[in-house]
Amino acid sequence: MIITRPKPIEEILTMLEKFPASPICVVGCGICARKIQTGGESQVSSMVSQLRRRGLDVLDGTMVHHACSAVSWNELNEEDPALAQAGILLVLSCGAGISLLGRISGKSVLPGLDTTSIGGALADDIFEGLCSMCGECDVGIFAGLCPKSGCPKSQVNGPCGGSSDGNCEVEERKCIWVRIFETLECRGMLDLLDDTRPPANHDRRL
Amino acid sequence: MGFEDVLGSGKFMVTAEVSPPKGTDLSGVLAEVRQLHGLADAVNVTDNQRAVMRMSPLVLCHRLAETGFETIMHMTCRDRNRLALQSDLLAAHALGIHTVLAMSGDYPTMGDQPSTKPVFDLDSVQLLQLIEKMNNGFDFQDEPLAGHTSLCAGAAANPGARPLALQLLKLNKKVSAKARFIQTQAVFDAAVFNEFAGAIKNTGIPVIAGIIPLKSVRSARFMNAGIPGVTIPEDIMRRMETAADPVSEGLEIAAETIITIRQNCRGIHIMPVGGHGNTRRLLEMCGLD
Repeated sequence: MIITRPKPIEEILTMLEKFPASPICVVGCGICARKIQTGGESQVSSMVSQLRRRGLDVLDGTMVHHACSAVSWNELNEEDPALAQAGILLVLSCGAGISLLGRISGKSVLPGLDTTSIGGALADDIFEGLCSMCGECDVGIFAGLCPKSGCPKSQVNGPCGGSSDGNCEVEERKCIWVRIFETLECRGMLDLLDDTRPPANHDRRL
Repeated sequence: MGFEDVLGSGKFMVTAEVSPPKGTDLSGVLAEVRQLHGLADAVNVTDNQRAVMRMSPLVLCHRLAETGFETIMHMTCRDRNRLALQSDLLAAHALGIHTVLAMSGDYPTMGDQPSTKPVFDLDSVQLLQLIEKMNNGFDFQDEPLAGHTSLCAGAAANPGARPLALQLLKLNKKVSAKARFIQTQAVFDAAVFNEFAGAIKNTGIPVIAGIIPLKSVRSARFMNAGIPGVTIPEDIMRRMETAADPVSEGLEIAAETIITIRQNCRGIHIMPVGGHGNTRRLLEMCGLD
């Protein structure tokens, strides 16, 4: 799941001022953004109302099944031919969805959300930053708790010196290394941490 | 005598920490270091300490080396990728710097440029491995260097961090990566330090204990809340709060700590708040002048 958060409405309005007046369609995404309530039906409807209250020409608000799928966009256009009249798409999806629509829609595409991380959801709880997309996943040796994404300093050989009472120095939560340690200790598998991990390979072409 | 020689000599060591200026005027810090003449075996020079932007420690270390001081240059992984780390290590050697303290570094949001991109391309263990490789004449990619470095590399540790076994896990990796000495975060609880020292005794690595003489209860509270890894126990806070002369009380607390831990460490590292004006007095109080 890709984690997003709403942009402030002032930022969206400032962005819209830079574009020639044209009918706007607000597009939500039916997968991640809908699940975490940043780009579902109610957020689309709320955005349409806010823009109309400010006198902007809003054609419609709609949901695309997957904003990151060209097939979904084509299906939406077949279902709703009026979309063709929109000059601007204000997209409430992750950056991948926004960028895909930017490539294939032939319209001006503006982001309504900021994309922050890859995470997950459990009921109403959102888990942010579960994966850093490093391209060389070794989370198995860390009890499934990735220190590259879970530690702000991406420490792979143990905790930094800044934690206090087992808490992260940067964010208000338990240090990911304390969680890794406690989990592996409980499983009797601490020897998984014995080897020094090498630096990351940032050349993802390999 | 170079710091590496002092390490090997068995002498009880004193190191003292200073920071480069936030600006181009080095006169203040050079005057401060002059007070340390004859007191410190080496002067530690910080690297954008607490993620606050300052002049590169390369320059101050070089200037201090010219005036006869042995220096320990801090090098964090926060601001440089592996290319820049290697460049600066080569530069350090070329500028006559012999000793480097390899650290991860405080996170940028702790400092004065909070929107900075944090680098952390390597961690402190990997930086130690890199220094060892460059001392052996090779770069990160195992290509030969035209002239190897000869750097004595140290590492940092926080005796108060818990769980202790997790701290030791990383510390053992630093020892395996050829760290030659440890300088610790400030020690305020002698029992905690002694437990830590006992736990790493088997590695044989020399431990230099961090000491911050407190100046006021206000600054002690600030450190407790604002400096990662620093924990000041409540009884010390109470002593500072009720002291008629907080500066003297802070020195007294520091001297008591040094006397209590000195059998379990190879030296002390003085990191005063606001300059080394009282460092000589502190060392006299514990017979180390």
